[in-house]
Amino acid sequence: MLAGKSGRAARFAMETVLAAARIDCAERLIDISFAHIDACFYNGRAHLDFVNFMLEAGARLAVPAWTNNGLVSLNDLTLRDPSQSREMREAHELMLAYVRLGCKPVWTCAPYQLPGRPGLGEHIVGSESNAVSFYNSVVGARTNKYGDYLDVCAAITGRVPDSKLHRDENRAAGLLFDVSGLAPRILGSDLFYHLLGHFVGRRSGHRVPAILGLRESCNEDDLKAISAAASSSGAVPLFHAIGITPEAPTLEAAFRGEAVPDSIEVTSADLNLARAELGGDLATPLAAIALGTPHFSYTEFERLVELLADRPVAPGIDFYLTTSRHVFDQARASGWTDRLENAGVRIITDTCTYFSPVINNLQGKVMTNSAKWAYYAPGMLPVQAVIGSLRECVESAVRGSVVLDSENLA
Amino acid sequence: MLIAGRASGPALVLDEALSFWGGFDPANGEIIDVHHPQRGCRVGGSILFIPESRGSAGTPGGIAETLRNGSGPLAFVLGERDVNIGVGVLVANRLYDLEVPVLEIDRARMVEIENGARVTIDFAGELLIEGDD
Repeated sequence: MLAGKSGRAARFAMETVLAAARIDCAERLIDISFAHIDACFYNGRAHLDFVNFMLEAGARLAVPAWTNNGLVSLNDLTLRDPSQSREMREAHELMLAYVRLGCKPVWTCAPYQLPGRPGLGEHIVGSESNAVSFYNSVVGARTNKYGDYLDVCAAITGRVPDSKLHRDENRAAGLLFDVSGLAPRILGSDLFYHLLGHFVGRRSGHRVPAILGLRESCNEDDLKAISAAASSSGAVPLFHAIGITPEAPTLEAAFRGEAVPDSIEVTSADLNLARAELGGDLATPLAAIALGTPHFSYTEFERLVELLADRPVAPGIDFYLTTSRHVFDQARASGWTDRLENAGVRIITDTCTYFSPVINNLQGKVMTNSAKWAYYAPGMLPVQAVIGSLRECVESAVRGSVVLDSENLA
Repeated sequence: MLIAGRASGPALVLDEALSFWGGFDPANGEIIDVHHPQRGCRVGGSILFIPESRGSAGTPGGIAETLRNGSGPLAFVLGERDVNIGVGVLVANRLYDLEVPVLEIDRARMVEIENGARVTIDFAGELLIEGDD
């Protein structure tokens, strides 16, 4: 293994994994079964040099590895056009290099929506923050938040340091958020999960949060919202939803038998404050709608089609929806993508709308159903965000101005 | 010593944690995080002291890119062990044949270091500060 071409890449990958183990004070390495690769997202020439080094050194992947979003959409190169700048050309080249390395080109930040996800207790490599949180919390797989290069080195060696969230003792909850005092209509709103996630991220610090009082009917789209929002406003690679997520059938299980050290009762005032933090200025006119951060799921498509009911998007409003190519194909097979596109919705795969450089000169007031989008986009693009439920986004798109449902958390 | 190497240069002591993705421009080594007290400061050519790490999957790439194009620090001295910074430096050292060390020191010692003080790191990981006994 140390001789020949493949040895050079494997050796460098192993040196990197061992250095990470030393820094993390891990006593051993453990096997992984899967990796979600973030290094395919362009962040300067060094990214390209790294993967080219690995390819030239004959790197082979030891485990299945799926790609996160790229900066460019391979399905629509005009969005961020590789012929228009060196950065976009290299970003495009980078994505193709990871396909050559053997990654499965799923190009999504929500790989857990695709068939073939890991099982409870399986050790994996997650990288994108919402996916790390979803895999740990909802799937019950085990991953730390892996950064660029280490994700690839782990996929080449099939090994990671046995540290942090790979170990039982670090997965116990350390802080309780109690939502059981909230009104049923709040608990039934899709926006609630985004606002709750934002609040939990703000207040958790380095502790693992547990949430008590969520409805049993909350679905994976709701849990995705918590994962994404909490890892944007804070660093929450793992949370437990009591009675819902697999490591938290009971309060005792979530805290691993220890007493609850600290608890916070979540109020409607907390949620309204979260909403205000994520864009409460309604004065400027609406320019666009952005859905699908993290990538839209099949069930979200179903709900959107039902809410929009083939009504046209108002003139002058750009309506963007980002999703994975896998979910796009599923939605197309159901006849939904044609109906949405006919109504004026632009569906984008492989990438996201909040990354810089901005697509199609998007600017001004943008309404989104995503706390993550609302948290990041105004810092990266010339936009102001306003957050709303999926229904509020749809009604606003049809009306051409921000429409809020007064029944709904406002 | 987290990553071995030798370096010598002026200390730049950050007052707060920094994310090297989003809060930092790897093209020129400038701190761009609007919430950071040292926004606008450039880290190039310094021995960079960072009290606390802040995680982002993009941090190793930001580090490797700033080291590649020569706008990065000569060494990193951390108040907390940080895998992302370590991996970014390790990869850059390997790809570009650099010798950028990464050290961890006590945070109590870090707060006593003055900006601009001449710092030397030797291959054994010893940190020598001008004016120190």
